[in-house]
Amino acid sequence: MIDLNFLSGVYVLLTYFAAAIFIIGVLIKIIVYAKTPMPVKIALTPAPQTKAGSVGRVASEILLFKSLFRANKPTWVAGYIFHVSFIILILLHFARHFIYHYHNGVVSLPSWYPLFVNAGIVFGILMFLSLFYLLFRRMIVDRVKIISIFSDYLILIILMMIAIAGLSMNFLISASALTKIDNRLDPFINGIATFHPINIPSNPYFLVHYSLILILVAYIPFSKVMHFVGVFFSPTRYMTDNPEEKRYYKPNAKDLSL
Amino acid sequence: MAKIKASYKVPILTGEIKIPKVVPGASAYEKMYPGIKEDMLAIGFPASLEDGWETKAVGIFKQLLTHNKALKTYMDICVRCGACTDKCQFFLGTADSNNMPVGRAELMRRVYRYYFTPAGSLFKGLADAEPFSEKMIKKWFTYYYQCSECRRCSYFCPYGIDTAVITMAAREIMDGIGIGQKYATEIIHKVFKIGNNLGIPPAALRNTLDDLEEEINEATGKDIKIPMDVEGAEVLLVPPSADFFAMPHMESLIGYAKVFYKAGISWTVSSYASEAGNFGMFIGSYKNTKEINKRIWDEARRLKVKRVVVGECGHAWRALYNFSNTMNGPFDFLDGKYKQPTHICDFTLGLIKDGVIKMDPSANDDKIVTFHDSCNVARASRMGDTKDGQLTIPRELIKACANHFFELRDGANKAQTYCCGAGGGILTDEVMNVRIAGSMPKMQVIKEVMDNKGVNFLALICAICKTQFTNMYPLYGFDKEMVGGVHQLVSSAIIL
Ligand code: SF4
Ligand code: SF4
Ligand code: SF4
Repeated sequence: MIDLNFLSGVYVLLTYFAAAIFIIGVLIKIIVYAKTPMPVKIALTPAPQTKAGSVGRVASEILLFKSLFRANKPTWVAGYIFHVSFIILILLHFARHFIYHYHNGVVSLPSWYPLFVNAGIVFGILMFLSLFYLLFRRMIVDRVKIISIFSDYLILIILMMIAIAGLSMNFLISASALTKIDNRLDPFINGIATFHPINIPSNPYFLVHYSLILILVAYIPFSKVMHFVGVFFSPTRYMTDNPEEKRYYKPNAKDLSL
Repeated sequence: MAKIKASYKVPILTGEIKIPKVVPGASAYEKMYPGIKEDMLAIGFPASLEDGWETKAVGIFKQLLTHNKALKTYMDICVRCGACTDKCQFFLGTADSNNMPVGRAELMRRVYRYYFTPAGSLFKGLADAEPFSEKMIKKWFTYYYQCSECRRCSYFCPYGIDTAVITMAAREIMDGIGIGQKYATEIIHKVFKIGNNLGIPPAALRNTLDDLEEEINEATGKDIKIPMDVEGAEVLLVPPSADFFAMPHMESLIGYAKVFYKAGISWTVSSYASEAGNFGMFIGSYKNTKEINKRIWDEARRLKVKRVVVGECGHAWRALYNFSNTMNGPFDFLDGKYKQPTHICDFTLGLIKDGVIKMDPSANDDKIVTFHDSCNVARASRMGDTKDGQLTIPRELIKACANHFFELRDGANKAQTYCCGAGGGILTDEVMNVRIAGSMPKMQVIKEVMDNKGVNFLALICAICKTQFTNMYPLYGFDKEMVGGVHQLVSSAIIL
């Protein structure tokens, strides 16, 4: 840690800070959601009568956004494209770690690496466009506009800026500068993960992209993005429909609420 | 029966459901009568707003959040995607943005963010957070009583966010600080005092049943009884109390009586548990729901029956099917062979299938029938053994009793049914315009089958739906005789 420059020192601290907020915040929410009892059965019927059926029901919501599909097709298309691109982009970023190989400072890349980069660009663009549609819809459709609050716009804008900053590295800076970032990024992240931090790539485009991601990560536990946890705990969806067959009883919820 | 007033705004039926342009506050003028002192006190709530109510409200809110997973998650995870915005019949009818499910829920989330989230307490305006205030409670009292707890929104929400849960919690919080609704609290009080929602005392009930027996006798020439408080009967039948007094509800009671008579199954109604309905659920009060529910099981024990069968009532079936076992079970003193409770439609269809009773569907040949899925049945409470029995059983029963049956349009039917516009404790005349507005989507699709298929009979399985449609039909220019229960069809078709 001794030979970190000032900028890297700040970023290393911020990275640990954001990660800590994210992990603790999400864990707290999971614990709160899991521990809060549900006093009565409220499965939205027709509902599965078995646990396996309920798992399938929740999975169809998470993997296919089934209810949203039934409710509003354009929103489903945009929402689905956004979520899929976002997840793929996260996975691509992780995958870098396994694709890069370092030996004494020498980088070796597989021959299909350009394909990998292009996939990132395509999904980055898809992510941006779907977000743009969602933002546009939020501002245009009167029913959605009237319920939108500041944080709804904030999260869209943060995500769009992340996408733009990420894409800009592929379009606005020279190939050699990009390679320089690429070559230093994986060691930096490895350093963070192993608690032996090293200097951060100092390219400003990269720093903007990275800073926005830190903001997002730290903001998630306080935001509606927590739906990614909550969706597992929605009683109307995960509950089985068998109140007569099997007595449902939660002593810690007793007599307090319906 | 509702009087037709000039101030009623009755939409014109075109057979189409249009999504209106948003008009915030369009239905703010329709308000419930506040709870009366004796009723509020009798069911455990303060009579009116007292000093320090804000703190008390926050306390109740907190307790609900820590004891109701649905409320807690639904406060947090709405992304305001808008998928539910055009799904509520009250929004479609009133155009008021506070009647969009998410608009309604945000009235509570604003307060939630203020007291229970860091952003809300730090940034207030920016986070759209607001403390409890009389103004806010007024809004709550208006819009949490323009929701019928029908759960259509939950069906379409990507997270299953159930605005009925939120509405119930809001009503519970309001009741806890002395802001009650006259209609529901009065009815709950009556149930505890007399045994049913209509406040019919036992002697009067017996008299009515005697009259009814005579009527049936005249019409059929058979000695068909409606027994009351008979110990040792096989079945305790619990109908909504409207089945004893209101029209067309009574026709269904006659139908039940004929089924029991022909099947040779001994049965009884009870003067103590003469009400299947549970208004405790409407106001989100676990305590009241449980107490009302308990009366039925206490009575089943006292009368030493083998099984409990429930009459045609939507929310009653929800409360009995879903909550009984949790609140007052287990029912090991009853016969384990049967579902406890059993829905009357399931019961009757079972007897038809077993060949115990026979139907002559041509007896209903004057009727061209359609069926309205009561939301509390379709989206909350199964009948029979299969996953969607609550959708298939009433239809099979209708088809066994009538030759001409047509479905309502997809998207307004089965699990996607619109509410009749008066469920959830809003079947009261002071909000008639809200009821009319809320009935509009369903009336449009009924109009469609009237025009295209010549439908002239709307079959129902819910006491509230029956009253609501009997009130709505004349307003929209239709004959109220075109509304009735599924067991009214059974009553005409059964071969005695
Ligand atoms: S559909 Fe669900 S998540 Fe979307 S706005 Fe409505 S309640 Fe919120
Ligand atoms: S529960 Fe029904 S009435 Fe209430 S907001 Fe949802 S759709 Fe509207
Ligand atoms: S009255 Fe009928 S349609 Fe309306 S809420 Fe009840 S069950 Fe649903």
